Parts: sequence; structure tokens; C-alpha cells
Amino acid sequence: MRDRQIVSVWALAVTIAVSLSQPLAAQTQKATPAQKGTLVFAVESLSAQTLDPILEGRPGNATYQAAMYDSLVGFDIAKGGVGPGVAERWELSDDGLTWTFHIRAGQKFHNGDKVTAHDAKFSLERQMAPTSLASAAATLRRTIKSMEVVDDLTLRIKTDGPQIGLPASLSRAVAPEGAIMPKAYIEKVGEEEFRKKPIGSGPWKFVRSVPGDRLEFEAIDYPHFRGTPRFKNLHILLVPEESTRVSMVRTGEAAIASIGPETMRSAARGGLEVLSVPGTMQALYQFWGAFRPDQKDSPIAKPRVREALSLAIDRQQIIEHVMNGKASMPHPFAAFEYTEYFNAKTWKAWADKAYRYDPVAAKKMLAEAGYPNGFELNFANTALPGTQFMVDVGTAVADMWTKIGVKVNIKTYEWGSFSPLQMGEQAQLAGVASMYRTVGRPDMPWRYNGAFGSKSQQHLFGEKEHCGVECQEFDKIYAALLAERDGEKRTELTDRMVKLVADTWIAIPIIEGMGYYAINPRKVGQFAAIPGRHELGDVFERMPSADEKPWKK
Amino acid sequence: MKRYIVYRMLQGVVLLCMVATIVFFLGRLTGNPVDLMLPEDATAEDRVSMIKALGLDGPLHEQFLIFVNNALHGDLGTSIRMRQPAVEAFFDRLPNTLAIIPWALLMAMVIGIPLGVIAALNRGNMIDRAAGSVAVLGIAMPSFWLGILLIYVFSVELGWLPSGRMGGPAHYVLPVITLGAFLVAGFMRLIRSSMLEVMESEFVKLARIKGMSEAVVVWKHCLRNALIPVLTLWGVFVGNLITGAIVTETVFAWPGVGRLTYEAVIFRDFPLLQAVIILKAVLILSINLFVDILYAYVDPRIRLA
Repeated sequence: MRDRQIVSVWALAVTIAVSLSQPLAAQTQKATPAQKGTLVFAVESLSAQTLDPILEGRPGNATYQAAMYDSLVGFDIAKGGVGPGVAERWELSDDGLTWTFHIRAGQKFHNGDKVTAHDAKFSLERQMAPTSLASAAATLRRTIKSMEVVDDLTLRIKTDGPQIGLPASLSRAVAPEGAIMPKAYIEKVGEEEFRKKPIGSGPWKFVRSVPGDRLEFEAIDYPHFRGTPRFKNLHILLVPEESTRVSMVRTGEAAIASIGPETMRSAARGGLEVLSVPGTMQALYQFWGAFRPDQKDSPIAKPRVREALSLAIDRQQIIEHVMNGKASMPHPFAAFEYTEYFNAKTWKAWADKAYRYDPVAAKKMLAEAGYPNGFELNFANTALPGTQFMVDVGTAVADMWTKIGVKVNIKTYEWGSFSPLQMGEQAQLAGVASMYRTVGRPDMPWRYNGAFGSKSQQHLFGEKEHCGVECQEFDKIYAALLAERDGEKRTELTDRMVKLVADTWIAIPIIEGMGYYAINPRKVGQFAAIPGRHELGDVFERMPSADEKPWKK
Repeated sequence: MKRYIVYRMLQGVVLLCMVATIVFFLGRLTGNPVDLMLPEDATAEDRVSMIKALGLDGPLHEQFLIFVNNALHGDLGTSIRMRQPAVEAFFDRLPNTLAIIPWALLMAMVIGIPLGVIAALNRGNMIDRAAGSVAVLGIAMPSFWLGILLIYVFSVELGWLPSGRMGGPAHYVLPVITLGAFLVAGFMRLIRSSMLEVMESEFVKLARIKGMSEAVVVWKHCLRNALIPVLTLWGVFVGNLITGAIVTETVFAWPGVGRLTYEAVIFRDFPLLQAVIILKAVLILSINLFVDILYAYVDPRIRLA
């Protein structure tokens, strides 16, 4: 009787184990589908082509480092913007001075080591080190007071004052500084060896890097929170010439290539799919040093004149003819549909009206401002890296201004030559309008502060000695935004900030651009990019094979 | 001869010092790499921090003295962008450039030299004009246009050859043709004029009087003498190819030193730019010295002079 009972208990246990293990096995099988083939991506630049996150800037990190590294805070894949990453959630203490990040369990590095809060702390310390080339190293050093590992899955970060935007700044949607590196491995092998044989926790493992030519990765074969790759290998090729990239996609040597708007039509005519990623950038123009006393008599010091110049721009023409129809009317400065704590719909309606084309009204405004016959305007035309089409946009804008009587002295700069002009006193830029750009990011305040804060590099509203009403108002709103925890109040403050900038017409969006890719439908299946994210580093693992999900005809 | 070589080497050292000084200061006039590495919303604080991390914070003359001191110890600095020793980066890429240059030269000589001889033999008639047209075409066609055209025809339309990048023998065909097209024209024109000059020489007349066959006169006696100026041109061409393969390497995504130079300029990677220019100057000076010495052996008149 006792033996029968034991057998029954065993039988029951086995039955439960089998019944539990079957769905689990099925789940695992579903999570790790058969991986085959090589996904080849041709890109115009590999930036520094280093696999050490502290030595690479944002574009390189987003293009290729993202494949093998996870970020502490990740993406909202569907909507764009900030979402869970290595940390599945995070919270702010009541006093607003401590952020606690909860690391998701069960993650591992490519050598099998577990991903823990120790790695997160170590990674941030590396990013903040004096030898780090991370663009926000100094800002992180200033804002982060201390870090404490509470347990293997909990990291506490104390900040020097309220830093509401800290999680966003550690998200790859915004910046590269949240990349998680393996503490134990780096401490064991040293930095030099780590750079030669890097290890991350992302869906792709490093295989090799051929300088100036390519990077090769191999897919992991276990489930990953970002998705388990469907291809066995990933090759990212450096092909600087756009026509060569498109040819490679047409011949099947590459599955995907980054392209510019001018190539979209020919790529589509050649039988390729063309993917447009919405809201990746905003092309704009801005006025420099309009606040300076020596510019007080300049036409550009008058908001009505600046507004008139905006009304003279036929944005639809630019979208249609310069951008081949693959761009859209912009939101206000540095704002996108996915921008957080921002009334996107309300402001889009405002922008559609404010950024209309009305040359008659523009001329009338100029006349009212005392310039019935126009005036002379110095215009610096330039393109930031990766968006060369900005020069064409700038040329079109200058041409439209001449039609309302403005004599435009246009000078085209290579970005490397223009950039130093905005440093320090900006003597050569005072009274000049120039092209500029903002990339698609969900956190608006940082970008606003970079352009309008009195202590910022660009300080378009004013600086320490000449900080007028708008300049002071902006600093006040920005400081309040940094500390505001309540979502609704934060949105109110953002609205105030956007209105302040919009009413001054000092930095004016021209178009909202997109990221463009030519795709060979025989080499890769249909996939969607992350809204607002130009680079595909966080998308490769979700790309299906051509058989799995063919492109719709 | 030894004195001549030592003199030329000293000249080379002086030239290298001048090149290094010019490239150091000229590069820094064009901007700062930090401005290209930072995002649009970077703060002034971030900028200062990065400048310091890259060692670009000292006064220019101090940076120059450090550069000279390091260069004298064989260290041309570390690439700002790649964080790799600049000399190492150069020598990583040099073999890739050198892999196509001999083929481009061979192609140029195999086509250009016979074409030049044929043109000289048919001076003024249709064949000469046709050969001249080939030369003009080779010189006039921009290499980026020719490269893209070749890719379109042979890769996209016919599917015979890969579009670019390093790989097996098939990957060499289009870059070599693109690089060699210009040289074909150069060799053809030089051989033609040189042959015409030699064919008027007394020794050629004597060879004909002696009853030698026309083929021997042309291909043995005339061509051998006409090839002497080609030797000089060969040296110049190799130098030009090492420094000037930028366009071909860019169009065909070929990771050579030409593209490395372009990247160093675009990213304001000063240490890399300095190293690349100095090392290229060393290469070109060495090739020219080698050609001059060779020339002196081939043509005794040079040695005597």
C-alpha cells in the first residue's frame, strides 16, 4: 500500500513535470527559431569603428555597437522614445534625489556571466572616467553624486539635485552612455584585451572588426528581451559611396543600405523596397547673436522680420522636390510626435498654421517692420554629418527669401568648418542666419537648453551679460523642468518652453526628415524601424528572413 | 654616386620636416575634432572635458613640441577617432592599396605601351587618331564617374562582377580598370612621343641600313630607348597612386590609405592626418630616390652628369 502511494506520488510528480516542461520547451523553441543566413547591411560610416562604448559617439553606438550591447534603459519599440532595457523599471525617491533601477533577471553576457547591478554601476563609472570620450561624461560626473549596488538586481543612483531626465539620458533612444559592459571580464582581461575581444549582452556576439571595411557579428542562440535574431550572422559593411551601396543592394551583395532622399526614387525604380523611418530629424534655420547690443538695429533682431522669413518658405515645395515627398511638415522646434511630456497634437495643429506659406503676408510684415524693399541677410548654409541634403534645403530656403526681396548672401560651409564658429563669442556668426538640425529624441528639454540656455554653447536668447526677458524666462522654465516630477505639470512647463521659443521665431523648423533605407526584398523580410530612430542597431534582431515575412507588393 | 644618394637623402629629411610642420599647423586651422564628435546638445562642460581627454587642451606651440619630440622617437601619435596608433593604422591599410597598384600599373603598361608604339608607327593617320582618342578619354573621364559606370554595367546590369569591396580576384577587376584607365593614357602618350623622337635617331637609321627587320628595329632598339622616360613616369605614377587612390577606394569601398587620408581630413583626426601625410611623403621620396638611382644605372649619361 505504502509502495503504491510512493509510486502514485512519483507518477503525479512526473506528470506535472512533463506537463510543465512541454509548454516551456515549446516556448523556448518558439523564442529561438532556426537561425540561418547572413544579414548584410551597408552603411556610409562606421564612425570610430571601436567596440568599446566609452570611445564611440552616438551615431556609431546606434549603428553597430547597439547590436552587441544592451542599454540600461531601452526603447519603446512601437511608439519610439524611452522604454525598458536592461532595467525593466525605475523609480524616483520621494525627495527626488535618488533613482532606483531594477535590473531584469536572467540576462547574461556572451561569456555566460550574469548581468547584474554591479555591471551597470561599473559601466557608468567607465563612461564617467576622465579617459572616457563619452560626449556626456562631464555632465554625468556633475549630476551623479554616488552609486550604490543594493543587490544583484538593484542599482541606486544619487544625484546632485533633482534629475528627472536621468533615465532618459541612460536610454539609447537619447544617448549612448547607458551601454552595459561586463565588469568581471574587463577587470580580468584589461581594457586593451576587451577592445580586441569585446563582450556584451546584446543579441549579437562580436566576431571580428576589419578596420575601414566591416564588422562581423554572430547571433546568440538563446532568448533575449530585445528579440532573438533570425539570421545567423550580421555583417555591417562600410561603403562610403551611396551609388555603390545601392548597387550592392540591387545585386544582393547587401540586404539593406542607408540612402539619402535623392536616391529613393531610383532605388524604387530598380525594384528595391524603400523604408522611411519617420521623425528622425528636423532641418531648421536659426539666428545667431540677435540679442547682442550691436545687433539691436539689425532686421534679424525683430521677431516680426524673423516670422516674415518663415512665411516666405514654401515647405511643401521643399518636401516634394528636395525630399522627394519623403518628409513632413514639422512640429515646433526639436519636437516630434513621440516627444515626452508634450502636447504633440495641439502643437502640430499650431505648427501647420504657423509654418504656412504666405509670401504676401511675409512682404506685408517686412514693410510694417520698416523693410518694404527687403534687406541684406548673411546666411550660412551647412549640413550636419549624415544629413547632407540639408545643403539643398538651405539653398531652396535662400532662394525663397529672395522672392520677398531679401538679398541673401549665402555661404556654404563644410560642417567641420562651421562648427568652430559657434564656440565662444561667436563673433563671425553675430547677425547671421544658419542652417541647423536636431535629431529625433524623445527628451526635449536637453535640446532646448543646448540652444537657448544662457550658459549653453549656442545661447541664442542671450548669455550671462546680456540675458534679457526671454533669456531669463527660459532659464527659469528649464530649471523648473529639471525638478518637476508631476507629469501634468511637466507637460505644462514644456508647453511654456515651446511657446516661448515659438513666439520669438529665433530657431525655426523647415521640415521633419526621415531616415531612408534601400532594401533587397529577396534578402530580408519586412520589418519596421523604431519611430524616430534613424539607425538600425536596435532593429537587426527583429528582421525576419525574406521567406518568413515577404514585403507586401 | 654615394655622395649623390646621401645628398638626396638629406634633401628628403629637410622636406619631411617641412611637410610635418605644414600639416601640423594647417590641419589645426580647419577646426577641432571635438566639434565633430559631440552631439548638438552637448554642453560647454562636455566639450572642455573631451578636449582634455584627447590631449588637445594645451597651447598650440606646446602641442607642436610634444609632436616633434614624439616623432623623433618614432611615435606619430594615436588616432583621435580610432584610438589606435596612427602608424599602425597606416600600415594596416597600406597593403590594401598596394594590392591594386601593381595590377593597375601592369594593365596600363600592357595596353598603354603597345598603343603608344602603334600610334607612333602610324603617325598622323586614323590609327594614331584613334589611339589619341583613347588617351584623351582615359585622361578626361573622372575616375568616380568611370567607377560608377563600370559598377552599373558589370555588376548591376550584367551581374558579372561584384560592386566593390576587397575579396577574391573578381573584386579587383573594376577598381584596377578604374585606377589604370588614367595611367593607360599617360603611358600611351609618353611612349608615342618618346618613340617618335627615338625613331628619328641616327642609330635607328643605321640599324635599318644594316638591314635589320622593321620589327627588330621598332620593338627592340626603338622601344628599349623610348622606355627610359617611362621609368621616371613610373615612379611618379606609383607615388600618385598611393596618394591619389582616394576616389577609387571610396567608390569601391576599398579600405586603403587613400580613404584613410580622406577620413582623417573629414574627422579632423590630426595625429592620423600627420602620420598619413608624413608616411606617404617618406614613401614617395623613397620611390623617387629609387627611380633616380635606377635611372642613373640605365642611362649612363645621368650618372656622368
